[in-house]
Amino acid sequence: MLGLSVDRLRADMNRLLALLFHQGVLDEQFLQLQQLQDESSPNFVSEVVNIYFHESEKLLRNLRGLLVDKEFSDYKKMGIHLNQFMGSSSSIGAQRVRNVCVAFRAASEQNNRAGCLRALELLEYEYCYLKNKLHELFQIEQQRILAAGVRYPQQRQQPNNP
Amino acid sequence: MACASGGKSEGAAVPDQFPVGLRVLVVDDDVVCLRVLEQMLRKCMYNVTSCSQATVALNLLRERKGCFDVVLSDVHMPDMDGFKLLELVGLEMDLPVIMMSADGRTNLVMRGIRHGACDYLIKPIRDEELKNIWQHVVRKRWTEIKEHDHSGSMEDHDRQKRAVDDAEYASSVNEGADEVLKAQRKRRDSKDEDDTEFENDDPTTAKKPRVVWSVELHQQFVSAVNQLGIDKAVPKRILELMNVPGLTRENVASHLQKFRLYLKRLSGVAQQQGVLPAYCGTVEQNLKLASLGRFDIQALVASGQLPPQALAALHAEFLSRPAGNLILPAMDQRTLLHASLQGSKCIPVDRNVAFGQPLMKCSSNITKQTSQSLMSNEDVHSEFAAWSSKHLGDMAPACALGSVNEPNSDMLMSFIQQQQQKQSIIPEPSRSINVQPSCLVVPSQSSPNFQAGNSPVSVNQNRGFRNVAVDHNNPLLQSNNSSGVGQTSEVESKPPCMLSEFGAAGSVSSVSSCSRNVKDVACQRVPSSPSTINAVLQVPNMNCMQGSYNGKLDMVQGSTRNSIYVGKGTFIPSRFAVDEHEFPVSNVSHQVKHYVQNNANKVKQESNMDLTENLAWHSEAALAALFAPQTTA
Repeated sequence: MLGLSVDRLRADMNRLLALLFHQGVLDEQFLQLQQLQDESSPNFVSEVVNIYFHESEKLLRNLRGLLVDKEFSDYKKMGIHLNQFMGSSSSIGAQRVRNVCVAFRAASEQNNRAGCLRALELLEYEYCYLKNKLHELFQIEQQRILAAGVRYPQQRQQPNNP
Repeated sequence: MACASGGKSEGAAVPDQFPVGLRVLVVDDDVVCLRVLEQMLRKCMYNVTSCSQATVALNLLRERKGCFDVVLSDVHMPDMDGFKLLELVGLEMDLPVIMMSADGRTNLVMRGIRHGACDYLIKPIRDEELKNIWQHVVRKRWTEIKEHDHSGSMEDHDRQKRAVDDAEYASSVNEGADEVLKAQRKRRDSKDEDDTEFENDDPTTAKKPRVVWSVELHQQFVSAVNQLGIDKAVPKRILELMNVPGLTRENVASHLQKFRLYLKRLSGVAQQQGVLPAYCGTVEQNLKLASLGRFDIQALVASGQLPPQALAALHAEFLSRPAGNLILPAMDQRTLLHASLQGSKCIPVDRNVAFGQPLMKCSSNITKQTSQSLMSNEDVHSEFAAWSSKHLGDMAPACALGSVNEPNSDMLMSFIQQQQQKQSIIPEPSRSINVQPSCLVVPSQSSPNFQAGNSPVSVNQNRGFRNVAVDHNNPLLQSNNSSGVGQTSEVESKPPCMLSEFGAAGSVSSVSSCSRNVKDVACQRVPSSPSTINAVLQVPNMNCMQGSYNGKLDMVQGSTRNSIYVGKGTFIPSRFAVDEHEFPVSNVSHQVKHYVQNNANKVKQESNMDLTENLAWHSEAALAALFAPQTTA
């Protein structure tokens, strides 16, 4: 019942994580992030990831704003945004996003607007994928915590729901 | 906050807990990184203060002087350049500063070194790297002490020795060397000098009282220097002019060095550019001859990795002065050297050795990269020239060696040897950079990443998340690769190996099952997908495989279980690349089903066992890493 679901949820989560690692969406840095979570900061990972989402969306909006402008020429500014995006992505282990940023940066250094546009689309895509997957991960995690929480009282008291 | 709890806890109680309680100030405008670093540093048991603005950080440092041991700063910040912060902290507070950036390209790292960074970390920063930052604190203290060793009074000497002992004690205790501990204790006790300055045994704070160069003090210093004239500004005379009680000659000397560097950076391009080549050649030669053990130059030069130009570049870079073209024409070494040294009272040996030391440290990294970047680095040339013009003429203060006026190429060697004999201090201890190899990421890091899973981008451009699954196994990094859709010919290294191993494993049957599915699906991108899969079997050519997956996956939504995601195994980051060539191909289709975006529970469960089996071919470590955190989360 509930006990089963906890295990199943945990398996789901593991599987999802394994998949993401396989795909290179996440790398070891994400593991480090998880290890940093402890009793004193129990929500560390989700906290950081949410900050990351918030900041990244700002950056993506900025980047797009810069690029849609036909007279765009401020590649330096774009480079600054990119650098920040790269830094934060690599800090949470978003490997693929970071890789796209590297490519994006290369295009921007060559003042290649078309290349930048392509890279931006790719970046947005990868970012969205990451966000979805991480949301999924957090959802499973939450369910698991809930399920685990409900289980314990049952063990202590008389089981109400056999 | 930082002051109150700073460092005393470990100092008074158990010294061997150093570097616990190290007081770190982190500055980064990126909140994500800041938060992560903060947490990592806390885990290292450091005392962390974080700031997202450089100006705030600077004020904090100024207000709470002596409350921090080390500063970690990002390079790119909106309100102030990280390098500027670095310089200011170095000048005003004399703290070790470690730079960080997502950008680890050589030229930027070089700038960090030039501006005096103790270290340069590249994001993402691992906690192992952070655990080690205390070494910069210790190293700085030690070199400062050594710097004063020669010219300091007995008082200073012993007081500082005590600090050194403390530091040694701390680090030796870290290694658990009790005998050393006792010996040092005895040594310390035997030196019965005044110890009023030491409040506690904390190695991080127990040392000579650090002189804080406040704005007023600095003004006095500057006016004294101006009065004397920059050429004649000797620490002794500056000290007399300043007439500040409690200020020692060594304080002035070290500050003067920094000030000179600062001036150099401010002033324009130097004049004697011609000195550069000959000088470099000479230095290289002499360094080679002088067998400077600690430099490793020999190894570098011998291995042909350190061309004279690179050496020159490094010299110049170290002196942090933008320069012109660095190509070194052939020149008569003697005459040039002679010219450059005319009128000098003292050969700036310490200067040479100074740059030699960090030079070696960074060169060992830099030579790993193309030294072309150095050669074409505009910054180097005039930097060095500036250095030579200014310092050859007027280097006096910390020059422990006698003046060597022979205008010949042996001079460098001779004073370098003297340097070694007298063990005089490198005048730039605070600048001794320790650019660890780990920090310098090979610039071409983009390419391996690209290859991590190549696929054309355009496939999924116009699709929503339906194809999320698809694209994800075909990382799209097209911008630098001009490959067309379906042809990722630039693929190389591990991912392709995976696939080829996959093919080679002889699981033809499953592959053919895949190919069957591929045929079912219209591959709009790769018309030859069936044949490509066969081709895969013969030739480890990942490209086609990927291409075929691309096309096929467009139809993910339409097809049911046939949506193959065989390629999943192929896109594993090299880290996960497997030595064994087994790949449970029979599970491939399961994996694929699992990957369909339906999120059908039944699908997931079906593949549950499969996935773990599939993962069996991962290395143990990776597996453990993957699963361990989950159990604790």
